[in-house]
Amino acid sequence: MSENKNVVPKVQRVIAILWPSFIISGIATILFFTAFDPNEIIGCVGGWDISRMGYYSIGFFLFWLLTSVNSALTCYFLKPCAANQKN
Amino acid sequence: MTEKQTQNVELTPVEEVYAKRKKIFPRQVTGMFATLRFSGVLILLGVYYFGPLIQWDNRQAILFDLPARKFYIFDWIFWPQDFIYLAALLIIAAIALFLVTALAGRVWCGYACPQTVWTEAFLWIERKVEGSRAKQIKLEKAGWSWDKFRLKFTKHFLWLALSFITGFVFVGWFTPINELMDRTISFELGPWEAFWIFFYGFATYGNAGWMREQVCLYMCPYARFQAAMFDKNTLVISYDEKRGEPRGSRKKGSDYVKDGKGACVDCSLCVQVCPTGIDIRDGLQYQCIGCAACVDVCNEVMDKMGYEPNLVSYTTENALSGKKESLFRPRVIVYVILLSAISVALFASIAQRIPLGVDVIRDRNSLYRETDEGMIENVYTLKIMNMDLNDHRYSLAVGGVEGLTVKKPKKGILVDAGTVLNYPIRVQVDPDKLKTSSTELTFYLNAIDNDKLSIEVDGRFLGPVYK
Repeated sequence: MSENKNVVPKVQRVIAILWPSFIISGIATILFFTAFDPNEIIGCVGGWDISRMGYYSIGFFLFWLLTSVNSALTCYFLKPCAANQKN
Repeated sequence: MTEKQTQNVELTPVEEVYAKRKKIFPRQVTGMFATLRFSGVLILLGVYYFGPLIQWDNRQAILFDLPARKFYIFDWIFWPQDFIYLAALLIIAAIALFLVTALAGRVWCGYACPQTVWTEAFLWIERKVEGSRAKQIKLEKAGWSWDKFRLKFTKHFLWLALSFITGFVFVGWFTPINELMDRTISFELGPWEAFWIFFYGFATYGNAGWMREQVCLYMCPYARFQAAMFDKNTLVISYDEKRGEPRGSRKKGSDYVKDGKGACVDCSLCVQVCPTGIDIRDGLQYQCIGCAACVDVCNEVMDKMGYEPNLVSYTTENALSGKKESLFRPRVIVYVILLSAISVALFASIAQRIPLGVDVIRDRNSLYRETDEGMIENVYTLKIMNMDLNDHRYSLAVGGVEGLTVKKPKKGILVDAGTVLNYPIRVQVDPDKLKTSSTELTFYLNAIDNDKLSIEVDGRFLGPVYK
């Protein structure tokens, strides 16, 4: 099986999930925090007492988590069903 | 081991981040394009490392101050409300990239991409520490010894040092760099600043030290679709197959045409200098980042052999096949028109930008209130943004309903430079003058000391209708 050239190495699959989601979460973070000031959101709904930089960073990683889940699900559903049944 | 002997050394492919990969040791190259790239790298790195140090009016000249949500570019201050300008700037950058690609191929990749620029810097360090390509390959194949350890340690130490300086300067573009420096020296960095310095530092070390061409081959989105922007008039690196083949070694001074050979002496130097490890003689490949290192090295060889230059050259497919070249193709014209239109619009609108903003926010708690005198009252909060570099007093006027009254300060509303003021106001209207339950009001705000600073915003006045 591992001799098959069409099999993508596991590392490459992991990066294929993490890297596009990294790019998209970067864009999402910029758009989101341009529209919303974390300090004003805290003023309305409450939150931890950390700096804006902190909220930007946490926001970025939350977006990254979401977009990674998205990419991972795409990867998962790309797997042919027949191959699934063999396992 | 001489260069000649090392050129065909096969290193065992190693499983790396992306794929099984033979480590590439690009040979140093000199020539016109190498000089161009080296100067480009120096200028770009200079802008990157020293840009944040430029001072302007006692502050950092260019500062994308994320913690304060303000972008300073010399005399301009941009607020999140000005996002449209950033969007326009990104569109301009994208179209400029398309235009350059259509005209001259992957010059971005070969000369200006950060991946190329930092890889060049890292290769420079590697050469200073480990020596020429031949020495690097020898060291790689040799077993572990004190010397090998010492050289590898020095190289990685220098790479990491440069990486963390890079990370530090990166954060310095987004938060005032002088204060960041003070906090770094006194070990008082905020957790997020420290995190991003290390994050960016490690990314630099990984990308420029380890991943290198793999970033271009596997990770770069542009590399995948740039072929769509090419046509037969695009400048690309090409090997003149008609002239070069059949390739083969020969004695210096022998008449190769008579021997039935082409101009290519098969010295394989074009392969050795290639940062992505391809053979340009196999034709244009998506791995080619257009750095023209092979052009430089081949011209050197051609010169030594006494042959005509440009066996490998920067040329177009049309020129190579003897067809007519054209510079102004429809796609080029469209890109130029789009580019000029958006650029003119952007600069005109920035030049006419009024550094004053007002949001009218209705009181959330009640729609309206009836006063003791029988007037209908609405309460608003004016969010006044003074985006100018000076403090200003603003006069306020409200219009839209006949005979409305508004309480306002006599001297105008003072808003400090670069701040937002929340200013509550009460507007009262005689209910007889209201024709509908929702009437449009206009709020006028005018700087007392500067007529040009004026703005009008609409708001709604709610009230009962007695019919």
